[in-house]
Amino acid sequence: MSEAELRQHHLRVVKMEEEAERLASSLGALMTGTAEALETKGLVDKELTDLLNENKKLKYRTNILKRRVAQMGGKSSSSDTILSPDSFKDQMCNILGQLEGIFSRAIQSAYPEATSPVVQIQLSKHADYQCNAAMALAKSLKKNPREVGEKILNNVATNPLIAKMDLSGPGFVNVFLNQDFIRQQVTNLVMKGVTPPPTTPMRVVIDFSSPNIAKEMHVGHLRSTVIGESIARLMEFLGHNVLRLNHLGDWGTQFGMLIAHLQDKFPNFATSPPPISDLQTFYKESKARFDEDEPFKKRAYEAVVKLQAHDPKHIKGWEEICEISKKEFKKVYKRLGVVLVDRGESFYQSRMEDIVKSLGAAGMLEEDEGRKVMFAEGADIPLTIVKSDGGFTYDTSDMACMKQRIEEELGQWLIYVTDAGQSQHFKTLFACAKKVGFYAPDRIRVSHVPFGVVLGEDKKRFKTRSGETVRLVDLLDEGLQRSEEKLREKERDKALTQEEFTRARDAVAYGCVKYADLSHDRARDYVFSFDRMLDFRGNTAAYLLYALTRIRSIARTAGVSSEEVVSMAQKGTVELDHEKEWKLARTLLKLPDVLIRITDDLYLHPLCEYLYEVSSVFTEFYDNCYCVEKDSSGKIVKINNNRLVLCEATAAVMEKCFFLLGINTVSKM
Amino acid sequence: MAEKLKSLGLSDQKVKETLKNESLTVILADIVDQAQGKGELNKSVGNLLYNLGTKLPRQFHTRLPLLVEYVARAQINQEAKLTAAIKFVQDHAMKEFNTAEFEKACGAGVEVSQDEIEAAVAQVIKKHKEVILKQRYQYNTGPLMGQVRAILQWADSRKVKEEIDLQILTLLGPKKEEDLVKPVKKKTEKKENKPEVAQVQHTEKQSLTMTDFLKTVHFHAPGQNHKTEGYVITENTSRLLQEHLKITGGQVRTRFPPEPNGILHIGHAKAININFGYAAANNGMCFLRYDDTNPEKEEEKFFVGIKNMVEWLGYKPHQITHSSDNFQQLYEWAVTLIKKDLAYVCHQRPEEVRGHDPPPSPWRERPIHESLQLFEDMKNGKFDEGEATLRLKTMLEEGKMDPVAYRIKFIAHHRTGDTWCIYPTYDYTHCLCDSIEHITHSLCTKEFQARRSSYYWLCNALDVYCPVQWEYGRLNMHYTVVSKRKIAKLISEGFVRDWDDPRLFTLSALRRRGFPQEAINNFCATLGLTGAQIIIHPDALEACVRDVLNVTSHRAMAVLNPLRVIITNYPNKGPTNVTVPNIPGNDSAGTHTVIFDEEVWIESSDFQEVEEKGYRRLTPSQSVGLRHCGYIIQVQEVVRNAQGGIDHLKVTCHKTTDANKPKAFIQWVSKPLKCEVRLYERLFNHKSPEDPSVVPGGFLTDINTNSLNVLSALVDVSVKGAQVLQKFQFERFGYFSVDPDSTPDNLVFNCTVGLKEDKGKV
Repeated sequence: MSEAELRQHHLRVVKMEEEAERLASSLGALMTGTAEALETKGLVDKELTDLLNENKKLKYRTNILKRRVAQMGGKSSSSDTILSPDSFKDQMCNILGQLEGIFSRAIQSAYPEATSPVVQIQLSKHADYQCNAAMALAKSLKKNPREVGEKILNNVATNPLIAKMDLSGPGFVNVFLNQDFIRQQVTNLVMKGVTPPPTTPMRVVIDFSSPNIAKEMHVGHLRSTVIGESIARLMEFLGHNVLRLNHLGDWGTQFGMLIAHLQDKFPNFATSPPPISDLQTFYKESKARFDEDEPFKKRAYEAVVKLQAHDPKHIKGWEEICEISKKEFKKVYKRLGVVLVDRGESFYQSRMEDIVKSLGAAGMLEEDEGRKVMFAEGADIPLTIVKSDGGFTYDTSDMACMKQRIEEELGQWLIYVTDAGQSQHFKTLFACAKKVGFYAPDRIRVSHVPFGVVLGEDKKRFKTRSGETVRLVDLLDEGLQRSEEKLREKERDKALTQEEFTRARDAVAYGCVKYADLSHDRARDYVFSFDRMLDFRGNTAAYLLYALTRIRSIARTAGVSSEEVVSMAQKGTVELDHEKEWKLARTLLKLPDVLIRITDDLYLHPLCEYLYEVSSVFTEFYDNCYCVEKDSSGKIVKINNNRLVLCEATAAVMEKCFFLLGINTVSKM
Repeated sequence: MAEKLKSLGLSDQKVKETLKNESLTVILADIVDQAQGKGELNKSVGNLLYNLGTKLPRQFHTRLPLLVEYVARAQINQEAKLTAAIKFVQDHAMKEFNTAEFEKACGAGVEVSQDEIEAAVAQVIKKHKEVILKQRYQYNTGPLMGQVRAILQWADSRKVKEEIDLQILTLLGPKKEEDLVKPVKKKTEKKENKPEVAQVQHTEKQSLTMTDFLKTVHFHAPGQNHKTEGYVITENTSRLLQEHLKITGGQVRTRFPPEPNGILHIGHAKAININFGYAAANNGMCFLRYDDTNPEKEEEKFFVGIKNMVEWLGYKPHQITHSSDNFQQLYEWAVTLIKKDLAYVCHQRPEEVRGHDPPPSPWRERPIHESLQLFEDMKNGKFDEGEATLRLKTMLEEGKMDPVAYRIKFIAHHRTGDTWCIYPTYDYTHCLCDSIEHITHSLCTKEFQARRSSYYWLCNALDVYCPVQWEYGRLNMHYTVVSKRKIAKLISEGFVRDWDDPRLFTLSALRRRGFPQEAINNFCATLGLTGAQIIIHPDALEACVRDVLNVTSHRAMAVLNPLRVIITNYPNKGPTNVTVPNIPGNDSAGTHTVIFDEEVWIESSDFQEVEEKGYRRLTPSQSVGLRHCGYIIQVQEVVRNAQGGIDHLKVTCHKTTDANKPKAFIQWVSKPLKCEVRLYERLFNHKSPEDPSVVPGGFLTDINTNSLNVLSALVDVSVKGAQVLQKFQFERFGYFSVDPDSTPDNLVFNCTVGLKEDKGKV
C-alpha cells in the first residue's frame, strides 16, 4: 500500500468516524424526542420537527378531550348502543335510538375526520324515517351534500331493521323500515304485552310527596305525589330497582306543644291509643294554647327537650301523633294509587350528628356569625349545617339523607321531586355533596325534578273561596263529585251497573286530576280547572279513557275475546298493507323511544302527548279501515282478525301509558 | 351637495375642501335640510350651522335637530352661545333634558340691548380710567372685552368692541401725533425681544419632562367618557360610568400592554412614557399588563426584560397584570355574546378569510343554540386547529367583517397550563381587559383607530364599562429595524451580537450603549401626542442624549491612536498629580486627579510633521498646550522606527504663561489604562432598510460592514474602577459608557454618541 493510498484510507476512516459520531448524536437527540432538543443540536429535519409538533398538539388535544369525557361522567348516550335485532325478539325496540346508532357509525366510518357530527333522524313523509346529517356535515367538510349523503348511505351496515334506503333531495337519506321486523314487533306487543326497551338497571331512589306530620296535605303535595309516582312507575317499568321514599317532616319543635297538649287531653295515651279523629283540629288547639298560655308554652319547650333526649314517654306520644297523621296520609295515597315508604327526618337524627362531626373534621365548615356553614363551588348561598343555637336545619338533614341514600341504600340515581322554589337549595346541596365526596357525577346521577305552582282559574295561587289553602282531601272529594255529575250528564249511569259506574267515576276523577298535572310542562305553573280536565274532547284523561273503552269494545261487540285475539296473533304475523295500518303500527312502536327520552330530563308531558297521538292515529285508522263489517241490518258479515290484533296492540300501548301516568283504566264507561 | 354647502355661506374653496370629507358633508347636508324653512339662512346663521356640524361630537347627534332649530331661528346667534349649547348637550347626555335650563345655559333668544352694552362698557372703562389716560392709545383694550362679557354674557362681541372703541375715543379725543408714533416704537421693541423670547421658549422645551408635557394634554376627565368624540352612549352608560367612578375614585388609570413575545424597542419607550407619564401627571395609576393571549410566543425572559425596561425608564407599575388572568371571564362573556346572537361559530378556514374582502361567513345566521354547543365543543377539543372560530357580529372601520374572537390552539399557555385550547384574540381581549381594569384612557397607536368602533361595540354589547380609546402616532426610527423576527435574523446571521447590541434600537441596546433613561424620556416628550406617524432620524434622539450627558458625565482624557512623547526636560522627580475638574464650568461636580509624567501619549493626529495653514496643534515648529497640566510642549526630535515611520517624539516643556499662550490645547495621558473602545456607526446604509424601493435586496443587504470598530485605547487613570454603565466624556471624542463585558483589568467602553452631531464617525 503506497503512502498516498494509506492517506486516502486514513481520510476516509476519519470521515466515517465523523459521520458515525454525527449519527450517534442525532440518535441521542431523537431519543429525547423534543423538537427543542433537536434544534439545540443543530439537527433540524423539517419533516421530523413538523411531526413532533403535530404529535405534541395531538397529545394536548387528547388530554383536553379526556378531561371532558371525565367531566361528563364518561357516559356515552344510549343511542350509541346498537343491539342485534335478535335482542328484540322478547322486548320492544327503540327504533329511533337504534337508527341513530346505525347512522352514527356509518358517518364515522364514512368521514372519520368529522368531529361530533349531528346524527339527525326524524320521521319522514316520503319514507319512514330520514337522516338529515349530510347537510350539516357537508357544510363543515366543504363537500357536496348529496355526495356526503351517498357516502353515508353506502356506509350503513346491513341491519334487519332497515328494508331499504334511498337518497332524495339535496342529500336526505330516506329509510324504509323492514316490514317483517315491524310486524313481528306488533305481534309481540299483543302476545307479550308492552315490554321495556333495553336498559342497564340501576338502583334509583325517589324522594316525593313528603308532607309534614300533623298537618294536612294540600294541593302542593298533589304535584309532588303525582309526578313522583309516575317517575317511579316508569323507572320500575324500565327495570330499575326503585326505592320510593316519603321524606316526612316528623321532627321539630312543633312536637313539644303537641305532646304537651296530648298529655293534658289524654293523660293515659301511653296505654290506650288516643282517639283523635281530626289531627288538624288538635294541632290548632295546641297552637292556640302555645300562643296564649305562658306556662303551657314553657312545658312545650320542656317536652321538646325531653323528646330529643329520647325520653320513652315523650317518644311514645310522638309515635302516637305520627301514627295518626300517617294513617290520614295513607288514605290519600290509597285513593291516588300511590305507594311510598315512610322515612321521616327523625330517621336521620344520629346520622346528622355524624355528618356534622365528619364535615367539621374535614374542614368543610366555616364560622358565620355563630352558624356553621358550608360553601361549594357553583353555589351562591352556603348550606347552614349548624344553627347558632347548635340546632340542625333542613340542610343538615338533607346532607345526611343524601349520604344515607348513596352509602346505605346504594342509590345510583337520586331523584328529588319538589317545587321549583327549592331549585337553589338542591343546587347547593348537590354541589356540597360533591365537594365532600359523597358522590362523583360520573358514577352517581342526582336529579332535582322541580315543578311550578298550581294556579286557580284566576291565574293566582290556587285557594279556596275563603282564601285558605285547598286541602287535598277536599279537592279529591270535589273531583269525585264533579266526575259523577259529568257521567250522569252523559247518562252513563243508565248504561253501566252501579259497580261499573263507581269504577268509571273514580278512574275519571283521579285520572283527570293526574293527567292535567302531568300533561303540562312541569316546570311551569298550571291552572287547575275541573271544567277543562273533565272535558270529553281534546287532550284530557276523560276523553282518552273513553277512547280506550271504545277500542276495547270493538272486539267485544264482535264477540271476540282477548284470548282469541292473542291466538290470532300467534297464528301469523300481523299484516300491515293499508297505509293507515302501517302508520298506526309505526306510531305504537315509538313508545320505547319516548320513554328513553323521558329518562334524559324527567319531563313527563311528552308521554301524554304521545298517548294523545296514539289515540288520534287510531281514529284515523278506524275511520279508514273496517275491523268488523256489518250489513244494513247490523248483522256481522266479516271480522277482520288482523285489524282486531292492531286494536289490541293499541289498547295495550294506551293502557301501559295510563299505567305509567298512574291512571287506572276501566273497560266500560 | 355643493349647493347645500354653499347655502351655508361657504366660499367655493371651502366647499371644495369640505366635499372631500364625506361624513362631514352628509352631516352638513342634513343640517341644511333641517334648517330649511325655519328661518332666514343668512351668512351668520350659515356660519354657526357649519360650526355646529363640525363641533358637535357624533354621539350627541340625537340633539342635532334641536340645536339646528335654535340656530336657524336665530335664538342661538353667536359663537359663544353655540359653544355653551354644545357643552350643555354634552353635560346632559344622560340626564333629564330640561329645555328651560338649556335655554338659560346657552342664552338662547337673549338679546342684549345697546343700552346695556353702553352701561357695561362705561362701567369697565371707569375702572381702568387712570391707566387709560396715562397710556392713551397704547392701552391694550383686549382684556376689556372679556370684562364686559363677564357682566353681559351674551353681548355681541362686535358691538362691544365698537362701543369700547367709541368710549375710548370719547375719553381720549382724536389721536394726536404722539399717539401715532407709539405703535412704531412698540414694533421695534417687539423685534428686539423676539429672539430672547424664542430662546427662553427653547430652553423651556429642552427641560420639559414627560410629566410636565402630559399635564398640558387635554384628554377627557375620568367619568366624562361620553363627551369624547365617537364615544357610544347606551342606556347603561350613565350607570356604568357612575359605578366606574365609584371603583376608581375618579383617578386616572392607564396601562402599558405589551405582548410578552419580544424585546421592547424605542417605539415602546413612547408608549411607556405616554401611559405612565399621563397617569403620573394626573396622580393616577398605570398598570403593566402583559397581553399574553397568544400561547405560542411567550417566554419567561421576555416578561423579565419588559419589566426591567419599564423600571429602567423610571416607572413603577401600579400593578402587574396579565390578560390571561381574565380567561375565564372572557370565556363567559363569549357565551353571553352568543346568547345575545352577537357571536357565532364559523368554519371558514384561515386561508379563506385572509386578504381583502373575503367572502362572508355562511354560518353567520346559524341558530344560537348551535353556536353555543359548537363553542362548547371548541373548548372541549372536539375541533382541530383552524376548523372553527368564534366570530363577532360586527364590522370594523376598514370594512372587515366579523373579527375573530376565539381560535383553537393545542398549545399550553405558560400561565394557564393545559386548561384551554381556545384562546381569545387581541380584538376581543384588549378592550375587555381595559374594561375589567377600569382603564380611563386607553392610549394606543394610530393603527388601532380602525379597531375603535369594535372596541366600543364589544364593551357595549356586554354592558360593561367602556373606556375611551385615544390614539397617538407611532414612533419609528430611521436606519434601524425593530421587528423581533428581523433582529433575530441579524443575530443569527452574526451581524450583531445579541438583542442588546448597542447598534440596535431595542431599549436594552440603548441602555448598553449608554443612553441615559432621562434622555429617552425627554426625547419622547419632544415628540408630543400628534396623530401622525413619525419617523425620527437617530440624530434627534442623540441630541437629547448629548444634552443630558453634557451636564452629567465626568470628563476623562483618552487617546485612541497613541503617539508616544518623551519630555526630555521633565521638571519633576517622578510622576506628579494633576487636578482636573470633573465637569468644566461646574465646580460643584468636583475634581479628579490624573498622573503627569515624563512619558505621555497624545493622539497621533495631534501631531503633523508638515505644517499646514490652519493646523493649530503640534508641528515641528509649532508648540501646543497639554490640557489641564499647565505645560506647553515643543518638538525637539522626531524619532523614527526601522520602517521610517514615527516611533516617538522627544519634546521639551515649559510652563504656560500669558506670554506664550499656545494656539491649542490637546488631550494626553500618562501612566494610562489600556482599555478596549468600541466605536459604532449606523448598522444600515439607508434611512429605510426595510423599504424595497430603496433596498431591493432586503434589509440584510443594507448592512454597514463598518458599523463596529474596536480599538485599543489609552485612558487616564480616573476611569479606573468604573462601574458598568458609568458614563464619561472622553474630551474631544464623545461620550462613552462602560460595557458589561468589562473586567477589572480590562475596561470596555462603548461610544454612546460623538460630541457633535456631524461627527457621526467620531
